[in-house]
Amino acid sequence: MGDVEARPTLGDVEAILAALAHEGYIADREIATAIYLSIELHKPLLVEGAAGVGKTEIAKVMARALGTDLIRLQCYEGLDVHTALYEWNYQKQMLRIRLEEGSGRSPEEKEQTIFSEPFLLRRPLLQAITHPRAPVLLIDEVDRVDEEFEAFLLEVLSDWQITIPEIGTIRAQHVPYVVLTSNRTRELSDALRRRCLYLWIDYPTFEKELAIVLRKVPGVSRRLAEQIAAFLHAARALDLQKVPGVAETLDWSAALIRLHRDHLDREAVERTLGCLFKHHEDQRVAKGPWLDRALAVIAEAQRDGQALEASLDRLERLAKG
Amino acid sequence: MRPEFGSLTEHVVEFGRRLRAAGVLCGPAEVADALRALQAVDVVDREAFRLALRSTLPHRREDLRVFDALFEPYWMGRATRQQPQDARDAPSQAQAEPLAGAPSVQRWAQGAEDGEQEVPGYSPLEILGRKDFSTFREDELDAIARLVVAIARRIATRWSRRRRRARRSHALDMRRTLRLHLRWGGAFPELAFQRRRVRKHRIVLLCDVSGSMDVYSRFLIQFVYALQGAVGRVESFVFSTSLTRVTRELRTPSLRGALDRLSRSVPNWSGGTKIGASLRQFLDRYGGLLDRRTVVLIVSDGWDTGEVDVLRRAMHEIRARAARVIWLNPLLGSPGYQPLTRGMQAALPYVDVFASAHNADSLRELEHALGKRLRAG
Repeated sequence: MGDVEARPTLGDVEAILAALAHEGYIADREIATAIYLSIELHKPLLVEGAAGVGKTEIAKVMARALGTDLIRLQCYEGLDVHTALYEWNYQKQMLRIRLEEGSGRSPEEKEQTIFSEPFLLRRPLLQAITHPRAPVLLIDEVDRVDEEFEAFLLEVLSDWQITIPEIGTIRAQHVPYVVLTSNRTRELSDALRRRCLYLWIDYPTFEKELAIVLRKVPGVSRRLAEQIAAFLHAARALDLQKVPGVAETLDWSAALIRLHRDHLDREAVERTLGCLFKHHEDQRVAKGPWLDRALAVIAEAQRDGQALEASLDRLERLAKG
Repeated sequence: MRPEFGSLTEHVVEFGRRLRAAGVLCGPAEVADALRALQAVDVVDREAFRLALRSTLPHRREDLRVFDALFEPYWMGRATRQQPQDARDAPSQAQAEPLAGAPSVQRWAQGAEDGEQEVPGYSPLEILGRKDFSTFREDELDAIARLVVAIARRIATRWSRRRRRARRSHALDMRRTLRLHLRWGGAFPELAFQRRRVRKHRIVLLCDVSGSMDVYSRFLIQFVYALQGAVGRVESFVFSTSLTRVTRELRTPSLRGALDRLSRSVPNWSGGTKIGASLRQFLDRYGGLLDRRTVVLIVSDGWDTGEVDVLRRAMHEIRARAARVIWLNPLLGSPGYQPLTRGMQAALPYVDVFASAHNADSLRELEHALGKRLRAG
């Protein structure tokens, strides 16, 4: 394709890591490599993982780092081509017909006018295709659409052109950078998977989560940040309906700071439980007897000046009961 | 640099083939991507090399695990920049016929491509369809499970086709309407503007896993999960003396494996039955799942050892809140069975559809009950 020169790139993997860090996104080499290759090989990037691990954030940060626009197609059950691609602006067309009444123009002329570009409503996919420079196209929660729409999407992602009967075929000026995310509520087709590079994002490791908290939560002490990261490491091993993600970690950290806490204790945890656990049943589990023991392990490890990493396995076992 | 790529290419092709043999969705296209990726990274950096392959060869989470398991053993001792003549253990026909593989792999690949598993050949379909699930030998269970999934897939495809037609008949064609308007001028014809979206049903599955019900519940869970995509969300619970939500555990590609793990981990799997208490527990804790789009599927023989009144009240409430209640009782398939147990008697007034689901044929009939338009419309 002739647009290769027009696509800015981010240099190599290290440069992407730096760019991501600059944008406040703590990534590892796995994530950076996937982004880098997606740009280099011109292939869409399919990102899977549990809710709240920062899948959507990848596209946002990519757009900022590349200095280009982000166009987002939020998927949902029942999403159809009209909402995703284009629709005619019927109200505007009708107004125009009214205005032209008695103008003496022939129906054919009128028809040509109202079915032309100014009367077109560009939905995300058409926006992405006609964008003056390659944007980042985020197709969010693609697992929510039905198989028919998925097939249509696959077609767009391979041809990068769409046909509007009244106007003709519109070909992409610049092939967008595509990021698809999925929460795995439905298995995606093999065809769509094979069109993409694949990235699985897991819940962050202790080190990564600690780095995220330190970076994103203003006013947090290292001591508290370590306790938070260790606590979440353990809490994710609990038997929960909805496992807290990184977004929850950050909300919770902010809440603790607001309440002027510099360490975790039962009272602080119970007061802020809603930030982490979004089901009544989960809150009951979290408040259970494991909590005191876990807090004790965390406090003890820090008092002895050990690195908390050494206690992570013990914490996990406590949570599993 | 260039000549060194020769042997590396062969190794990557062979590695891709091993992944494929291990069940990973990975063919020549992936290998080609991997090779392009290797030109974009510094292959001397072992970690960069690994991550480049890892981003391009596998496409799903399960495949990442296979990749991780195979990577070290395969690449250890294979330098990534060795000379062509060093490639002793790379098969010489690697590039000549990149698609060839063991026959079993070919079969596997074909099966994976068209999605629909073949119906087992040794037993005629009709006989398999009519045979009660509980009478299958252990070695036949896999075959019958595939049949159940195949039936569900066929139903799912039919539904999605039907929905497409329905959508077209309800959508207003604005383009044509406007054109007509242009030609004929005058008043705008009276038109309804809403586009009717056919909503998918949601299914709540409540499976009795006590004693003899175990085998039926397993098949039904597989059946309903294979319908996914055609129906909306499926929420699953198993119960015997108490209720356990298993939606998350079952959300996995290998459903059978998940079921086996479950039967080990869920307390009271195949114990006695307290249907009423279990349904009550469902309402108290997960009642929010019920709405006018939800079809409740209960699989049980109705042998309740608890209070009948508890069961009656729970059924009443479920009936009031859900779109439809379907009770599947495999015993209904046995000749001469009358639903006379006290529990069954108490529940029946609140049941819209009472069916058997004891063999593959009866699952086929279930299509009608599941697919009927909900009364909420």
